[in-house]
Amino acid sequence: MSAPCTIQDDGSIELYFYGELDENAQASVRAHLTRCRDCAQVLEELQVIRAALSIRPDISAPASGDWTAFMARLDAVLQQPRLVAFAPRPAVARTVLTRRPFIGLLATAALLAVVAISVFMASRGGRTLITDQPGLTPVEQVASREAPVEPEMQAALAAVGLRHLERSKLVVLGLATKDSTPAPGQGPDWAYERELARSLLNDTRIYRQAAEQRGLTRLAGVMRDLELVLLQTSMAEAGDRAALPQIQRLIHKRGLVEKMDVAGTTGILP
Amino acid sequence: MTPDLDLVHRAAAGDHAAFHLLVERHRTMVYRVAYQFARDHHDAEDITQEVFIKVYKSLDKFRQDAQLTSWMYRIAMNACIDHKRRHSPAGAAPFGEEAEFRMLNTPEDAPGPEDRAYAGELGEVLEQEIQRLPPGQRVVFIMRHHQGLKLGEIADSLGLAEGTVKRQLHAAVHRLRQALTVANVTTGGQA
Repeated sequence: MSAPCTIQDDGSIELYFYGELDENAQASVRAHLTRCRDCAQVLEELQVIRAALSIRPDISAPASGDWTAFMARLDAVLQQPRLVAFAPRPAVARTVLTRRPFIGLLATAALLAVVAISVFMASRGGRTLITDQPGLTPVEQVASREAPVEPEMQAALAAVGLRHLERSKLVVLGLATKDSTPAPGQGPDWAYERELARSLLNDTRIYRQAAEQRGLTRLAGVMRDLELVLLQTSMAEAGDRAALPQIQRLIHKRGLVEKMDVAGTTGILP
Repeated sequence: MTPDLDLVHRAAAGDHAAFHLLVERHRTMVYRVAYQFARDHHDAEDITQEVFIKVYKSLDKFRQDAQLTSWMYRIAMNACIDHKRRHSPAGAAPFGEEAEFRMLNTPEDAPGPEDRAYAGELGEVLEQEIQRLPPGQRVVFIMRHHQGLKLGEIADSLGLAEGTVKRQLHAAVHRLRQALTVANVTTGGQA
């Protein structure tokens, strides 16, 4: 009985399989394969792995198949001033805003968030929100204020984040309690929840990214779960009978209702 | 079609439309890599966004003699590992060499192939096993098997010694072969 072959232990078979050996080594392994059943078996397994993986779906785009939302989010992030690394871009930013209305909406949402944060901070600190700067709009005046210190920013973000969670709870509770087994021949009636989910999705993503950047890990975690639920809900087809139960399982698995309740009652600061 | 290099120059000079065109041209490649690594659309979108933010911030550092796709590829792979690092329990702690070694070499905590083989086809079982590979092995396997990069290119991209890349590939393939064996046994060789 011959000793077990050890050539496969040094990785030569997969290097042969992937064409990584030089000509001589390739020929040597090829010859070895004709007389070693163990190594031939390894090569066969590698071929099976390649064949099995080659027929798997090739995923190269977001689940919706549409890049519009991705491009809008990327634009929104790139327009943050601290990301400008190599050149000023105000003129380009205005052009893009004019040409692509959805980016304008996103930017408006972001500015509203800034205003909400500033209002909150002003109310906490007893300061006047609008300063006397002639010629500036309220939003520009807010933007021109000195940047708040980090704890204040975290508290403000947590406050507006909680308000967003309160708004979103309606759709999450609606989804969680919806009857997913309607009468035969009828799909679930959840058009209202799907519409709400679509309207909340972008803001949720913005809050999640802001929370991640500010180190608010608990808020970011809840926003991430919420975003996933809203994304799946907004993408679901009206007549898809399997979608609602799946989303309900997701809500349950992530404990989203409980997390939103806890955030509302005990706060969400780290 | 405008060459990539021209677009890079224009984007680096502040031409946002040129950058848009670059993103549109390369986003499917980046997304494919991100999805192969993460197997989750949510994470793949995050990773893809991180990649293009990094590209945007580094346009002026792009070497003229380099291939844009290789450069983006390298950024994508590092973004995958960074993403994993941030979302793993180790990510909460200071990230030393030891922690990095653990992160790169500790299998994901998930059901083994025995529990899953019955439920799906062989390709699905293998894909799930790829997700259980330590991130370092996973990256190397994806780069070699899915993207067809040579080991030397992988080593260059990741800043590793070629021997290390070989060992990571060998370990990854070994685990996939084990999963294959288990799957075949569990499904009675029907997979």
